[in-house]
Amino acid sequence: MRGIEIQSDIKLGQKILYINWGLVALITIIACIGFSCLYSAAGGSLSPWATPQIVRFMMGMCGMLVVALIDIRFWYKMAYPCFALGMVLLVVVEAMGHVGMGAQRWINLGFMKLQPSEVMKIAVVMALARYFHAVSVDDVRRITFLIPAALIVLAPVGLVLLQPDLGTSLMIIMAGLSVFFVAGAPLWMFISGIVGTVASVPVAWHFLHDYQKKRVMTFLDPESDPLGAGYHITQSKIALGSGGMEGKGFLEGTQSRLNFLPEKQTDFIFTLFAEEWGFVGGVVLLALFALVFIYCGVIALRCRHDFGRLLALGLMVNFSLYVFINIAMVMGLIPVVGAPLPLISYGGTAMLSVMLGFGLIMSCSIYKDSKIPRL
Amino acid sequence: MNRLPSFKRKSFRIQGARNEALDVARGRVVLVSACFALAYILVVARVFDLSVIRGRLYNTGEPTEIVEMTAQEQAYRGDILDRNGVILATSLETASLYADPKLIIEPTETAKALARIFPDLAYGDILKSLQKGGRFVWLKRNLTPAEQYDVLQIGDPGLGFKTGRRRIYPNGDLAAHFVGYTDVDGRGLAGVERSFNTYLAAGEQPLVMTLDVRMQHILRREIVKAVENFTAKGGAGVIMDVTNGEVLAAVSYPDFDPHNLDVKNDAAMFNRLSLGTYEMGSTFKIFSTAAVLELAGAEMSDKYDAREPLQAGRFKINDYHAEKRVLTLPEVFMYSSNIGSALMGQKVGTEALKAFYKDLGLMDKIKLEIDEVGRPILPAVWRDVNTLTASYGHGIAVTPLQMVAAAASVVGDGTLVKPTLIKNNDELLTQKGHTDEPVIRIVSPQTAHRMRQLMRLVVTDGTGGNADVKGYRVGGKTGTAEKNINGRYDRKKLISSFLGFFPMEAPRYAVFVMVDEPKGNKKSYGYATAGWVAAPAVGKVVESMAPMVGIEPVMAAPEEDLSASLKRYVKTEEEIKAEKAVQNASY
Repeated sequence: MRGIEIQSDIKLGQKILYINWGLVALITIIACIGFSCLYSAAGGSLSPWATPQIVRFMMGMCGMLVVALIDIRFWYKMAYPCFALGMVLLVVVEAMGHVGMGAQRWINLGFMKLQPSEVMKIAVVMALARYFHAVSVDDVRRITFLIPAALIVLAPVGLVLLQPDLGTSLMIIMAGLSVFFVAGAPLWMFISGIVGTVASVPVAWHFLHDYQKKRVMTFLDPESDPLGAGYHITQSKIALGSGGMEGKGFLEGTQSRLNFLPEKQTDFIFTLFAEEWGFVGGVVLLALFALVFIYCGVIALRCRHDFGRLLALGLMVNFSLYVFINIAMVMGLIPVVGAPLPLISYGGTAMLSVMLGFGLIMSCSIYKDSKIPRL
Repeated sequence: MNRLPSFKRKSFRIQGARNEALDVARGRVVLVSACFALAYILVVARVFDLSVIRGRLYNTGEPTEIVEMTAQEQAYRGDILDRNGVILATSLETASLYADPKLIIEPTETAKALARIFPDLAYGDILKSLQKGGRFVWLKRNLTPAEQYDVLQIGDPGLGFKTGRRRIYPNGDLAAHFVGYTDVDGRGLAGVERSFNTYLAAGEQPLVMTLDVRMQHILRREIVKAVENFTAKGGAGVIMDVTNGEVLAAVSYPDFDPHNLDVKNDAAMFNRLSLGTYEMGSTFKIFSTAAVLELAGAEMSDKYDAREPLQAGRFKINDYHAEKRVLTLPEVFMYSSNIGSALMGQKVGTEALKAFYKDLGLMDKIKLEIDEVGRPILPAVWRDVNTLTASYGHGIAVTPLQMVAAAASVVGDGTLVKPTLIKNNDELLTQKGHTDEPVIRIVSPQTAHRMRQLMRLVVTDGTGGNADVKGYRVGGKTGTAEKNINGRYDRKKLISSFLGFFPMEAPRYAVFVMVDEPKGNKKSYGYATAGWVAAPAVGKVVESMAPMVGIEPVMAAPEEDLSASLKRYVKTEEEIKAEKAVQNASY
């Protein structure tokens, strides 16, 4: 076993060299595309969206580098405390949160609104990665061993559901499941889980809010109500279509400009981008995202400790899910759930949590050969 | 499921369980990545499908429309008229001048002559065009008939005309958001130009709107004045016939010149009246008050305790014009007490109030003959606290137009009023979903009468005094709402509106004016509230339009006024003082 002791005290200069600068560059390029989209969404103006987004990105970048340089063993120790903090914040938001449009989702910190559910997405992955760190295959196949891990996922999901925010709770479940999967939980559990979910759909339908039912119905048949609930999707598809192969050009997207496109600075920003840059632009953006995932996947594969591998993979899944769900949503492949496009959509907490997540992934990479004793 | 060849598995067993775990993990990382790769391929395929394959269809509208449009390119696009036959939009045949340089006989002479006819064209440029190679060059678009005549007088066989049609809006920006506009190919892109595109393109009959250019002018004038006087961001307004829902005037300001579009100017292009949704504030008290009278058996003498702010969960409901005493129902309405209205909503109950709002059409997108119609924004989960706030118009955002129609439904004859922009043309209306629906009763005639009394009282004695016009018995309700900016109410950013009706004993017209973010001025003593901003504007509109629509002024003594019978429920200043004195003495 080589490289374990060597890594325990690398110098700061070396660490900085070890940072995946390629990944940093990719993230910066994607974020810049985001700034240009927000500039365009505001009709060719830096306010009200582009400037705050740039500031947040800068802050996020600093945060990311700091997180990346901190020893992975520190993060290993912090996994449960972070999770506990996230739970406390979730309870607090339930108790005294800002009420916005019927759903309580954030705490006002004065300078920004903190969405604990965003924090929780990272904390759940950290806690699970720690729980599954350096356990034997036999352990992972024991149900009794898996139950505490399931609670790590289900406790926050329950609180997020209370808010009520179905989309985010599903996202936490998916990221959690991916960690379970890679940790080696038996396959029959996943298969029976999928079967069980499909079977319980009729029951779950009963408990959905009216607006959530409507979203699903509209998804199944958006044309049925093109000026009503299907409006978002229909307009989004028209905008995508009007972009064509090469797009209409920067600042020339009429669908978004004329306000036919709702939420153009947040959830539907991919549409705005694809209208102006066309199929070519869309594919370039998707390729950039794909490169980021490949980077993260390679980091996960090369990591020599379970904690880092599980953490990097869980965060990668979380991030790619967002990209996939957002883009599939605006194209009418899946129902409209409020999922932003990471690094591109306007929004503070999302930007920060994505950047900190990348920081953790980079920490996994820098300290990939560290030895973490099971505590 | 066997993921690995068996010999490999064996070799791992020898090395120990740890390595097996590692291998399982790596295998599964690859599996997860593969799933994502698949998802991405799916997404890319979909982008291609939407933007490239279907893109061609979307680019020019529906495929059927493309065929239709090319066939009818030369057809005459129908006029749009106001209710009195005044032209709002028409198509003029105009000639455009081109030259075939090969056939030009005397380039210099012809160029000189053309330069005389068109002072804005330079002789040198014309000559250059006439001496070009090729067989076709545009010289001047859209000639007047006189210019065309002069060109014909030159008699050069190399000059020719192409006739085309140009959409002309003689009233310019007057009702731009509702009439709409077309693109250069004559396809309607907004307003009725868009929603009746097929009908207008057929060119058989004009489209008659319910608008009245005169009313439109009055309303727009007053809204522009209010927006300028109070340096506001914009405004909107409507004049509606309460008896049948016909919209006589509809304004969203700032507006645009349909001949000269600047589509990037969002503020001007946006239709605030029927597409924008706003938390309307106190004008909603019309609905909670009507609900408590109609559904909860409330009487005018009922009392509501407005001494202390109302605690609702984590919120405090406060009064803007705080009276800090026990108020009767008419007092709650005339002083616009949020506490009192919230208590009314509580009395009605969540389910009943929601059902009442639904009946009034405040919970759904309304039917209107244009596509620019906004969907109300409702609480995702309607808790009891939402009932309280919705009673005074917060936590629920609707389009101004639908609110006016809903209010007309409770102060008119008590039946549902559906707004319409198109004058009776049965075939068209059924086409747009306006079938002959049965009359829907919303409130009893008695409740409607009480609402009229209450709204008159607001103008004679309450917050809407500035809307009064001698002799025309205006009634109404003020609404000053704080704008919700990113989840927080901003005291400085207001939506000030006034919804008036006249003549109040048998309301015929609703006049509504809304001003977006007004700032107080000297004349209003720094106030930017509805009573100072919107109420006077409505008063001026009534003053100008009443003689035009033939409503006769009646000069009646105050005791004959509609609201007179309510005065006994309203404490005078002396009474209030006396009451306070008694209270203080008892402490």
